[in-house]
This record gives sequence, structure tokens and C-alpha cells, in this order.
Amino acid sequence: MRNTKAVALEALLVAAVGLVLSLAANALSPRGLRLSRDYFPKAERWSGTVSNSTNSQDRTGHSLPVGDSLEATRLRLQQRGLQFVASNNVVEWFRDPRYEQGLVVFVDARDDSHYQAGHIPGAWQFDHYRAENFLAAVLPVCLSAQTVVIYCTGGACEDSEFAAVMLRDAGVPRENLFVYVGGVTEWMTNGLPIETGARQSGQLLNSKP
Amino acid sequence: MTAALTSPGHRPVADIATVLARWFLGGVFIYLGLNKALHPVEFLKLVRQYDVIEHHFLLNLIASALPWFEVFCGLFLILGLAVRGAAVMLVSLLVAFTVLILRRALAMQETSGLPLCAIKFDCGCGAGEVLICRKLIENGLLAIFATGLAFWRSGRFSLRHSIFSAESPSNGRVSRDDSSNH
Repeated sequence: MRNTKAVALEALLVAAVGLVLSLAANALSPRGLRLSRDYFPKAERWSGTVSNSTNSQDRTGHSLPVGDSLEATRLRLQQRGLQFVASNNVVEWFRDPRYEQGLVVFVDARDDSHYQAGHIPGAWQFDHYRAENFLAAVLPVCLSAQTVVIYCTGGACEDSEFAAVMLRDAGVPRENLFVYVGGVTEWMTNGLPIETGARQSGQLLNSKP
Repeated sequence: MTAALTSPGHRPVADIATVLARWFLGGVFIYLGLNKALHPVEFLKLVRQYDVIEHHFLLNLIASALPWFEVFCGLFLILGLAVRGAAVMLVSLLVAFTVLILRRALAMQETSGLPLCAIKFDCGCGAGEVLICRKLIENGLLAIFATGLAFWRSGRFSLRHSIFSAESPSNGRVSRDDSSNH
């Protein structure tokens, strides 16, 4: 009995010391999370359903049939009051002269490694989980644009939605913001050009459909 | 230390097995914990997918502390510091993880109609996308190891095996009073 108590006390001590050390490690880590920050702003639980979605799983990361996943994302965007845009519009805007003038802006909501590996040419990076690193550069560009297209990987990826909400809260007019639901996956599937490395690096690839 | 290993009435094989189990389990948790701690945002997203915690502070607390907590528990095991307490904590974590993974896998099975052992997803366990049946078996084995360490008292190669019971400082073995309990 005494022995059990000693082990239980030891477990509690490990829990307490471990928690303190863990929080200290998180605070010291350059990649650490900020405890007070809401990384999923205004992300109300999505209650929609998708018809004929026998293989659909929302936000699970499980393999999804592309059509069902896109439909689920579109419905979720509607419920969250965000505008979505389809591939054909995105391509039109990409080829629009206004893109060169900075009146149409593309924003990539993925993290650094994904962005460097390949993004829509000229897209600005805005990883909203590390907003402090990007907002100062991206916000003025978005504020002066007429159309802001935000994308992430596509499918069940929600990062573009959270980035859109954050930009909207930062003052970018709601009517100017569009979430490209298909994301970079659809862009590449359509064989459209991809830029690797930094923005305007000039390293262009033609993605293969 | 060598003398103690071969001293009469002692169980050197069991002691060595316990040390190896400690190092193995500690190594596994350090590896899995670091994989998550180095990619906290990815882990945060995976934790959120379980739909268990709504409040962002709690979500952040778990995603930021849990990976490092696993690392420190692993270090405790390898160093032989509060071994039984660390082992109890790891068993508790493994049981909780297993229940959550199974719950989510069953929900996915119901939606998809796939057999349970064909369900595959990134459970946030630090090893990427895995077949869930395999993960459940792995968790079960790790829990058995950890339970063994929580019950078996061997102070070989330990800084301080038990915090709240007396140990012989020369070889790390538990004292006569404590030894008589097992």
C-alpha cells in the first residue's frame, strides 16, 4: 500500500516536473506555439453533410475522393461566410494584366517548406501560424489589391480559410477575398506553371498534369 | 556495479532486461516526441482533428507540452530517474492515445465502410500516416513494456530509480526494506 502510494506520488511528481520542463522547452523553442493564440480563428465546427459521400472524411487526413472533398470544403466556406473561387477563374486572374500591376494578388497559406518546394508564380507567402513573420509584408499588398486569391494544398486543407479570416480581420475587405478551393494540387494537376524557392525567384517549372 | 550484477541472490538477466527495456522505451518516446516537438504546428492540426478539445488554449497547451513531455519521460527512463513514476505516466498516456485513436478509427470505419485494419491516417503519434491496427498493436506492446517497468524494481544504471524510497547509492539497488516487497 505504502509502495503504491510512493509510485503514485512519483508519477504526480513526474507529471508536474515534466509539464514545467515541457512548457519551458516550448517557450524556448523557436518553433514553439503561443498558448494564448487562437490558431484556428472563427473556425466553428462544420456541421454540413455531403451527399453521396460514403468515402468522405472531413479534416481527417484520410484519403478522400477529390470531388467529395472539394464539395465539402465549398460548403464549409459558405457556412463560414467566405467566398470560394474555381480553377477557371483563378487561371483567368493569373493571366489578367492586373496581376502584373498588383491589383490581383495570390497568397500561399502553406508553410515554408511547401512554399519553397513550389507555389503559384508571384504568390506571397502567408503562413498564418507564423503570422508575425509575414503579415507586415503581405497586409499592405492585400489592402491595395482588388482581388486576393488565397490557397493552400487543396481538398480538405483549411489553412487558406484561416489565413483568409485573419486577413479579413486585419482589414482586407471581405468582398476582395477568395479562397481557391482546389489549391496548389489542382493548379499542378492542370499543368500550370510553378515557381520554386523564394517569390519572384525566376525558377519556373511547368507542372505535369 | 559489475560486482553487484553478479552478486549472489541477485537476478542479473532480469536486471539487464529491465535496463534494456528502459532504454528501448525511453529511446522510442524521445524519437516520437522530438518528431512532434520539431513540427508543433503540424501536431496542433492533428490534435485538433480528434475533435476532443474545443478551447484554443487547451489545444495549444496539449500540442505544445505533450511532445516535450514524452521526450522528458523518455529521458527519465534512460537516465533511470523516477523510473516507476515515468513509466506510470507513459502507461496513462498510451492508454489515452489508444482510446482516442480507436475511437477515431471506428468513426472512419463507419463512414467509409472499410475494414478497421485498412484504415490509415496520421494519428499524431510522430510516425506519420500509419495503418491503425498496426499502431494499436504497437501501443499495446509499449504499454506492456511500460507496465513492466512500473512494477519491476531494478535500479541498475539508474541515477535515482525511486524518488520516494531509499536506495543504495553505490549500485542503485533498492534497499533491503524495499526489496523485501517484491
